[in-house]
Amino acid sequence: MHSELKHEHVEAARRDLVNRTLSKMQGDFARLIYLASMRDYNTSCYHHDGLARMFTEDIAARAIACCHREVFERLVLLPLKGLVEQLELYAASNCSTSLELVRTWERLQPYRVTVPLECSRLPARLFVSNITAALAVLQARQLRTRPERQSASPDQ
Amino acid sequence: MIAFLVAVVVILSVCFLVSVRSCRLKLDSESYGTEQGTSGPLGWEYLMSEVSPRIFDREDSNFLATETSRQVTRRFRRERTRLALDWIRIVRSRVNQLMRVHLGASRKNSDLKPADEVRVWFEFFLFQLTSGILYLVIWICGPARAADLVEYFLELVGQLRRMTQDILPSGYETAAELIRTGQESRAETR
Repeated sequence: MHSELKHEHVEAARRDLVNRTLSKMQGDFARLIYLASMRDYNTSCYHHDGLARMFTEDIAARAIACCHREVFERLVLLPLKGLVEQLELYAASNCSTSLELVRTWERLQPYRVTVPLECSRLPARLFVSNITAALAVLQARQLRTRPERQSASPDQ
Repeated sequence: MIAFLVAVVVILSVCFLVSVRSCRLKLDSESYGTEQGTSGPLGWEYLMSEVSPRIFDREDSNFLATETSRQVTRRFRRERTRLALDWIRIVRSRVNQLMRVHLGASRKNSDLKPADEVRVWFEFFLFQLTSGILYLVIWICGPARAADLVEYFLELVGQLRRMTQDILPSGYETAAELIRTGQESRAETR
């Protein structure tokens, strides 16, 4: 009975998080980065003040973990083409160019810390491998379009 | 005849090699506590039903070949091959675990039906053989070419799980419990 009640609360908190915050973000990548950023690096617990005030700290953490898993799962199962589109969308929504994103992500590899804790190693490796490939595609596209742009410019 | 014998020897050698590597993988996971989980939302079922088609999908590789250089595509295919081979090792190690528990439970069972047991162990032999062939195909041709064989391999795994569950439900539950607690203890050590 108690666990059922708790599950209902977690579900309500999850819906709240999806409707109020996640649905307003553009693309699953932005959602993944946002959700992973709410996780403490040392304890792996999720914190969200607003959600914790509405429900409890524990329920809020469970709801965020649930959303994090869902978004991650969607991105892992996405074909490479779709993942590239998601990355482009993420770059555009963060006011940076794809090239800037590629440069930073290749150096820092921040996507490695976005993997949910309970994810087994193989899907995590698949995710990292797909991101690396998607970044390579973005870089190749940028390199292809840059000379075209230079030749189109009258100053050149 | 000689060619057939050579093929059998090669497949059995591959099966043996995969078994050895699976054992090593298990030992690694026990010492570091970071290897793949088996149950839970992103665990065993997920690995079998959702992740495997992605690993063996050839669309990604084709897309990459049209968008990037040969070097990048080659690197990507190498990585996918490694992932596919690790996937087989994980599946084998879990099925071996299931069969060990089934063996233990059937030894204690007084109503054992020999015909059912023969069927299960024959199925297990088929599974071992298929995994050896699959390992070879992936290693030589890459995961994209092995997609059809993977389907058959997954069918065999499903059949084995159903059979062990039907014959000795208690043994199957113990195996599932062992797999679950294995993951929980690993998660705690993380």
